[in-house]
Amino acid sequence: MIDPTAAPPKARRRKVTRESTLQALPWLAPALLLIGGVVVYPAGYMFYTSFRDISRFGTDLGWAGWDNYGKVFALGHLPRVFLNTAVWVVGVVLISVLVSLVLAQFLNKTFPGRTVVRLAVIVPWAASVVMTSTIFVYGLDPFYGVINQFLVDTGVMAQPYGFLKNPVSGFLSSAAVAVFVSVPFTTFVILAGLQTVPGDVLEAAQIDGATKAQTYWRVVFPMLRPALAVAALINVINVFNSLPILRTMTGAIPGYDADTTTTLTFKIIQGDRQIDTASALSVINFLVVLIVIAFYLRIVRPMREV
Amino acid sequence: MRRVIKAAAIATAATLGLVACGGGSDSGAGGNTELELMVPSYGDKTKPYWEDLVKAFEAKNPTIKVKLEVQSWDDIYKVLDTKIQGQKAPDILELDSAGPAYGKEGLLFKADEIVSPATLADVVPAFVQSAAIDGTAYGVPTVASTRALFYNKELFAKAGIAAPPKTWDELLDSAKKISALGDGVSGYGMPLGNEEAQGETSIWAYGAGASWGDGSKITVDTPQATEALTFMKKMIDEKATQADPGATNRTPLINVFIQGKIGMITGLPPVVGQIKEKNPALQWAIAPSPTKDGKPATLGVADYFVGFKKDGKKQEAIRKFLDFFYEKDNYVKFNDNEGFIPATKSGGEAAAAKPELKEFIDALPGAKFYPATNPAWSTASGAFKQLVGQIQTKPAPDVLKEIQAKVDAGG
Amino acid sequence: MSTLTEAPPALSGSRAPRPTKPTRRRWDLTAIGGVIALIFLAPYLIMLSGAFKSRPEILKVPPTYLPAEWHPENFLTMWGTPETPLPSNLWSTVVISIGGTLLALLAAVPAAYFTARHNFRLKMPFLLLVLITQMLQPTVLASGLFREFVTLELNDTYLSMILVNAAFNLSFAVWIMHSFFSAVPKEIEEAAWLDGCSRLDSMRRIMLPLVWPGIVTTVVFTFIACWNEFAASLILLPTDTNQPLTVALTKFVGQYDSAWQYVFAVSIIGILPVVILFALIEKRLVAGLTAGGVK
Repeated sequence: MIDPTAAPPKARRRKVTRESTLQALPWLAPALLLIGGVVVYPAGYMFYTSFRDISRFGTDLGWAGWDNYGKVFALGHLPRVFLNTAVWVVGVVLISVLVSLVLAQFLNKTFPGRTVVRLAVIVPWAASVVMTSTIFVYGLDPFYGVINQFLVDTGVMAQPYGFLKNPVSGFLSSAAVAVFVSVPFTTFVILAGLQTVPGDVLEAAQIDGATKAQTYWRVVFPMLRPALAVAALINVINVFNSLPILRTMTGAIPGYDADTTTTLTFKIIQGDRQIDTASALSVINFLVVLIVIAFYLRIVRPMREV
Repeated sequence: MRRVIKAAAIATAATLGLVACGGGSDSGAGGNTELELMVPSYGDKTKPYWEDLVKAFEAKNPTIKVKLEVQSWDDIYKVLDTKIQGQKAPDILELDSAGPAYGKEGLLFKADEIVSPATLADVVPAFVQSAAIDGTAYGVPTVASTRALFYNKELFAKAGIAAPPKTWDELLDSAKKISALGDGVSGYGMPLGNEEAQGETSIWAYGAGASWGDGSKITVDTPQATEALTFMKKMIDEKATQADPGATNRTPLINVFIQGKIGMITGLPPVVGQIKEKNPALQWAIAPSPTKDGKPATLGVADYFVGFKKDGKKQEAIRKFLDFFYEKDNYVKFNDNEGFIPATKSGGEAAAAKPELKEFIDALPGAKFYPATNPAWSTASGAFKQLVGQIQTKPAPDVLKEIQAKVDAGG
Repeated sequence: MSTLTEAPPALSGSRAPRPTKPTRRRWDLTAIGGVIALIFLAPYLIMLSGAFKSRPEILKVPPTYLPAEWHPENFLTMWGTPETPLPSNLWSTVVISIGGTLLALLAAVPAAYFTARHNFRLKMPFLLLVLITQMLQPTVLASGLFREFVTLELNDTYLSMILVNAAFNLSFAVWIMHSFFSAVPKEIEEAAWLDGCSRLDSMRRIMLPLVWPGIVTTVVFTFIACWNEFAASLILLPTDTNQPLTVALTKFVGQYDSAWQYVFAVSIIGILPVVILFALIEKRLVAGLTAGGVK
């Protein structure tokens, strides 16, 4: 604004900015109303509860200060649970994304029966996660589990194994199921992203003599970036807060060696009946996700300006 | 603030042309009372029973409407806690011993306020007292059960065992013999997964003469309990149990017994019906729970009705409904459906005629209940469910200490 | 869709005309595709097989792969069990899912479009606020939601769950639509404005067809999330006829014994509508493909 001749595009942009803030309101209003009306109250209530002393029957006994947070940090198994959470999120999201990139590339090719394969891939996503976990619990049972029986019948194992009976194999089995249910969604987002890659760009690349790998990494992948970044972001949040898989599959395992912060929150509500401590842990969990996502946004920049 | 949120929510909905559906409560009309009744589901006969009962009751009492809500045992605590926190507790609730414990916080009517004296007099006093808090009873028992040892006669014959074990040592010996048969067969089924670990543990601990404390203090790391858990660990270490007892839940394990792959398991009355339905060919029998030295002791469990006080206006309606439920025919039918032992004298007479319930009724005098009168028991019970399975890998005293620490922290 | 007429539908997908090679390779791909399909379907085949078994057979030791006795009537009797009014449950799920999806879309599309096209001071704060809604754990939020809807006298209504589903899926809808709107070059739209299209017109005629894959993705994602929502429905909908399928399933789980054949059969029925929706919409995805490559 000081020197109008210096940078005209920048100046114009700034002007647009000021006007737009008011203009934005009608466009954003429905979303803001929904968030304000439905999300803000329970979130605020959770925050409030984390500073209250709530009896195990739900009676509010008054102000608790930081006691609930103190209780959370006094839990001896907290480091292990945080470590599990990190392994869980990073592992599941990374593997899901890698598998999905390959799968989406495959499903983008044309071949007879592609629609059927696409439909089959969508099924684990369409099914409720609780049911998918339940069927794995049922299938992996050492006595009446079909999967165990199958592995024995095909000679892979000599005798049935209790996959969900110890923390390590239970945790890994759950992670595998988490990947299994995350892949369809991720694949689908990437597939949708692949549709936006114009065919003539690919042709141009081929004419220029680019190899397949070069075409993929230099042309296709950069165009996938926005969709992929959002898909990974949503995955990180969902996997972080995923309760049903671990609760269903490792819930019977004693101790906390297979817990993430989310399942620990659940155990504090259900087992210890301390909704106040659970709220505190939930607030902490929320802050951790917030920090992780903030880093993610800084590094990956899924919202970089066009 | 509330009005703003409400206006916003309605505006959002209205602009988009959405219509609210579902039940609005029309309880305003001329002195009508609406009772909210929340019950857990024992099985597929539970809901039809309550629907019929409510219909019959409403026909007799046209001014009272009963709104029934049936929840699975998995979900009922969560739904209930949310409702209580939101000041929307049901009027009548059926629950395990956690129900009467709400009396501690003054949320409940006393037992003699929600049923007539005649009804209360018919209930076996031991059951009423089992859930009394500081001498005051808040819950009226609905169903009762004790635990006993189910055993597979065929496997016993194969392993050359003449009679069911009475003591722990005999149990270990018999279980090892059966495990030695091979072919995926286990001697004793020990479910220490989170579903019902406190039940299995209590039977063992009570068998060593332990108790979990009283109305004022919960103590779990007693010498007797340590002895019991140590012996349980011995059973596991010597491969007398199924693999991985620490993470095995009760319901699936009972099923494995029904399928003939387990020699002995602790069970309760409804298992009788399950065997008849799923594997009638099974050669089975029931014996008293083995104890350390053979002295009879086992776990007794009851579920209860409680009435939430709230503003106190619905007391009369609650009493009418519960008295109706405890009428002999209605009540006996309820217990017949679910396969439990009735907790009333008149119901007990009817049940005594059934041979399959005999072992369980015989066990009643020696049965010990959970110290549910102490609200801290719910913490202890939760801690058992989450932690006791660790005896598979950790020393028993350490595990008990860890549980005790949870109980103490929960206050 | 106007775009369908612009591009020859027959060519959708294979743009480079290389006549001989594809026919040979295609069937290899079909074989690989078959294996992939089998992997993704395997657990649900176990479920399907279980749905045809009798109650005793489901928990047999050792297990059977296929039912020894077939009980197709499970798929009929489940509609009339005493445990739960399944036809009402299916209806509730349909109403709540369609309502939630539409509401989320209606709220998200304008916001996503505007944030993708304009810079304004509160843009990042807005997008972050939307994202934050996704980070809260439903388990702990349920009690706050219950209190809120009780005070609003909206508990036990479809509307409550439509609002909850729309609000908690908004972030995905906004962010994914934002990324798709951003990917459309500004020039296309500006050209339309020069031709005299109003902003709404250009959105309807130019933008929406171009971001169609994004809309499809959003609809599928939101619909599936609504369809499978459990934690809030359990708390907010106490009346059995209002409850969705996910809550209805728990009614078959007894204290000591569960009707697994019904749990499995209902789950299968629950998966089908989503797969059918996807089958219908998958063609639109191809339509979007041609639209994306128009200019």
